[in-house]
Amino acid sequence: MASFTPNLEPAPDASLQFKPKKPRITLQTPSSCPSNQRTQRIKRWRTQRDQHIYSSKLFQALRRSRRTSASREVHETADRVLAGLARGTTRWSRAILTARKVTKHKKAKLPTNNRLRKPDIYRERRKTTAVERKLKVLGRLVPGCLKLSFSNLIEETSDYIAALEMQVRAMTAITEFLCGGTGGGPQPPADRLPSNVNS
Amino acid sequence: MSGRRSGSGVSSISDDQITHLVFKLQQLIPELCARRSLKASASKVLQETCDYIRNLHKEVEDLSDRLSQLLASIDTDNDQAAIVRSLLM
Repeated sequence: MASFTPNLEPAPDASLQFKPKKPRITLQTPSSCPSNQRTQRIKRWRTQRDQHIYSSKLFQALRRSRRTSASREVHETADRVLAGLARGTTRWSRAILTARKVTKHKKAKLPTNNRLRKPDIYRERRKTTAVERKLKVLGRLVPGCLKLSFSNLIEETSDYIAALEMQVRAMTAITEFLCGGTGGGPQPPADRLPSNVNS
Repeated sequence: MSGRRSGSGVSSISDDQITHLVFKLQQLIPELCARRSLKASASKVLQETCDYIRNLHKEVEDLSDRLSQLLASIDTDNDQAAIVRSLLM
């Protein structure tokens, strides 16, 4: 897989401020000491190798699936492959993989059962600070992290963000690759078409 | 992570831990990282995190939209699909 895409350039980083991709990192350090484990975890989604693995897996999944004409299916497939790569080590990946079964049944968010909630005057009204409110929003954004402790939520968030960034990079690369392959695509650059002025 | 005191609040771990974790998070967000402000407030970091995740979600959606269109057009062309497959596997 060394020459996976010889002339494929990653998406220009001008518009997206990603960290520059690190060179291929050989994970041969013994993961016995926690600091090494943490370094491995930090570098987890940022290596070229991981991205290549994800791209090829995603492409295979897309080719196998029949219904690739719906963007929702593509999105779900991409999420599923991404979560699969995590190998069940993170909560959000497990939530994505298990949630897929119930997506068909539950389209909208379940409303909170307001009847069972005690009205505010009976509950001791904790002043939800701005930070706590934002934590809640964050917990909703990361799948499967609705009621997590602060430190766990931050851990999950950092992993999720790294994974999402890799997902965007990989999908951009695949899109550009397919674009170049078909020679057309949504934005045909003018210099590509040699003879445009015919008839 | 130890150091979690039982309290009435949702997140009542020690303040030091909070700032440390928030700082860790801050380093992941490109906007906050680029500005080099040493320590943004927790609320700002969380806000930027949420916005950033929403941004990423939207990008993935747009990308999957494009991909679905491209794949629909590729499905009709089997030769190129075979080439692409052979290159990727």
